[in-house]
Amino acid sequence: MQRYPIITTRNGKRYFFRFSLMQRVQHIVLFTTVIILALTGFPLRYYDQPWAKPLYSFFGGIDTAPWIHRITGLILLALFLFHTGYWLYLFFKYRIGRLIREKQLSIRNFFKEFFSMEMIPNKKDIYDLIDMFKYLLYLSNKRPHYARISWKEKFDYFAPYWGIPILGPAGVALWFRDEITHYVPGIFLNAFYIMHTDEALLAAIFLFFVHWYNVHYSPEKFPMATVFLTGYLSEDEMIHEHYDEYKRVMIEEGLESDIATLNH
Amino acid sequence: MSYITKYNILITAFVLICLCPNAYVFAADELNCVLCHKYRGLSRIDEAGNFRLYYINQGLFKKGPHKRVQCKDCHVDIEKIPHDPSKNVDCTVECHLTEPSGDEIFTHKPVAEILAKSVHGTEGDDSISIEYPDDYPYCTDCHDQPLYRPLSFFKGHAAGVSKRGLSRCKTCHQTGDFAEDFYNHVTSRLQKMRVSSEIVTLCAKCHGDNKFQERHQLQANIVTSYRETFHGKATYFGSDETPDCIDCHVVYGENVHSIESKSSKSSATHTSNISATCRSSDCHKNAGEHISGYQVHTDYDDPEKYPLQYHMLKFFKFLMAGVMYFFITIIFLELLRRLFPNFSFIKYNDTKA
Repeated sequence: MQRYPIITTRNGKRYFFRFSLMQRVQHIVLFTTVIILALTGFPLRYYDQPWAKPLYSFFGGIDTAPWIHRITGLILLALFLFHTGYWLYLFFKYRIGRLIREKQLSIRNFFKEFFSMEMIPNKKDIYDLIDMFKYLLYLSNKRPHYARISWKEKFDYFAPYWGIPILGPAGVALWFRDEITHYVPGIFLNAFYIMHTDEALLAAIFLFFVHWYNVHYSPEKFPMATVFLTGYLSEDEMIHEHYDEYKRVMIEEGLESDIATLNH
Repeated sequence: MSYITKYNILITAFVLICLCPNAYVFAADELNCVLCHKYRGLSRIDEAGNFRLYYINQGLFKKGPHKRVQCKDCHVDIEKIPHDPSKNVDCTVECHLTEPSGDEIFTHKPVAEILAKSVHGTEGDDSISIEYPDDYPYCTDCHDQPLYRPLSFFKGHAAGVSKRGLSRCKTCHQTGDFAEDFYNHVTSRLQKMRVSSEIVTLCAKCHGDNKFQERHQLQANIVTSYRETFHGKATYFGSDETPDCIDCHVVYGENVHSIESKSSKSSATHTSNISATCRSSDCHKNAGEHISGYQVHTDYDDPEKYPLQYHMLKFFKFLMAGVMYFFITIIFLELLRRLFPNFSFIKYNDTKA
């Protein structure tokens, strides 16, 4: 695995490592496929809206757009499987491998390692959430000090990670509806249809409004955050959004004396 | 000759030229009905207050299926010109045409007989048909004049005369229009003459009305529910391969006029026949028997009839509402906190903690 400098300096400013090239490429494939799927799927759901026909025609109309949708869906499903393999590989190589080397492997330690992974929700997220509401409701003047991944980012992560296993297989079942009816009752097609279209609506609204607001539209980020391209976050953003992680990294890198105070 | 006389002669000549039907019109219309009906503005408001247009476009009429039929063959009660308002056309009358395959005089009567026995017919002692006879369709309720639909290249193929195909007929049938007429007659029936969306619109004229559905003890929102399916949406986007009402409700290979109620055992939509109907054409020929369980006309607001769909939809609606309200609240509070950063309900400084 390529090693990235935890802190890099450019034009006298510190930047903190967030995402590897592999993770950024996966994210690019994810948002590209999701956008294409939305553009080729929603005209069908909202067929009677004035924008539906022109948009669908842009993608080749009823003869071509469904095929673009299906092929793109397959790419997204492949990404889901790849990503699952990716984190499983990292998990077993670096965490379970270490336990094996240290002869510490037990069921308890296995789950302990699993739940200590940075994407898995934990107790601190609940405290952070409470702190955040206290701060937003003017019941505290202290912002929550987020670790490497905040609860919001975990929510952003699990939105597609729970959505794809619902949307994808349902979409494949609707695609191969003739074959599937040899094995399951026909009413499953009704269920797959709702699963596919309504989960897609939830995912699209969440990603295009909430996620994009958090990373692009909010006053701190507008017009666009660049971490998804560069993989690095500026020191100001790090202090503002991941203060606990900022302090940890600064101490780890021997820069304890330079740790800035969080301006609440 | 005075200037005024010359002027009158010119005006009279012009009016006569305008009124005089051309040679082509004479050939198609022996009774000279187009003497009046050729005028685009020929119209009136009838007793019911409806606008009625009586203009006949001869160019379109000559391309239509009734081009060899005289006006009086259908409008049988007209005896003199100018005439009184005529009765509605009875499509079962015998036209003065001889069927090319035999010596019989042509009539649409066999179609009317099939229709009478179908779900759209009033034959039998059905109490609904006795109570609401006007709800049942007459030929012209579904068959508008094809001559007003000149673009008849539907389902991916142009109906009607192909000069290359016609050249084979012309080898023997060299005289008259027999080859054109017969070829047109046959080829136009080898494909559907209406696009799927047109069929849906046609059926929706009656079945799209929930009061009509209630009168006939039929499911409400039947057209809306079809339009919510992939079939309906693909049809809306102009697909010529997805099924319309007729494709599913008429037994494959049978005459469309023989459509039956789904309670009839021989109906295409009877529970025992649905899978056969879905698999009978090219649509789902590889589908399993279970395809009959797919509920096409789902009413998402009916928890008794469609509990699975109703509750699944409710779940996703609540999930979406919960997620979105939660995050919109956070975004709103964040913006508020940004707008009034120095306000606080607490009096001590807790940022050092």
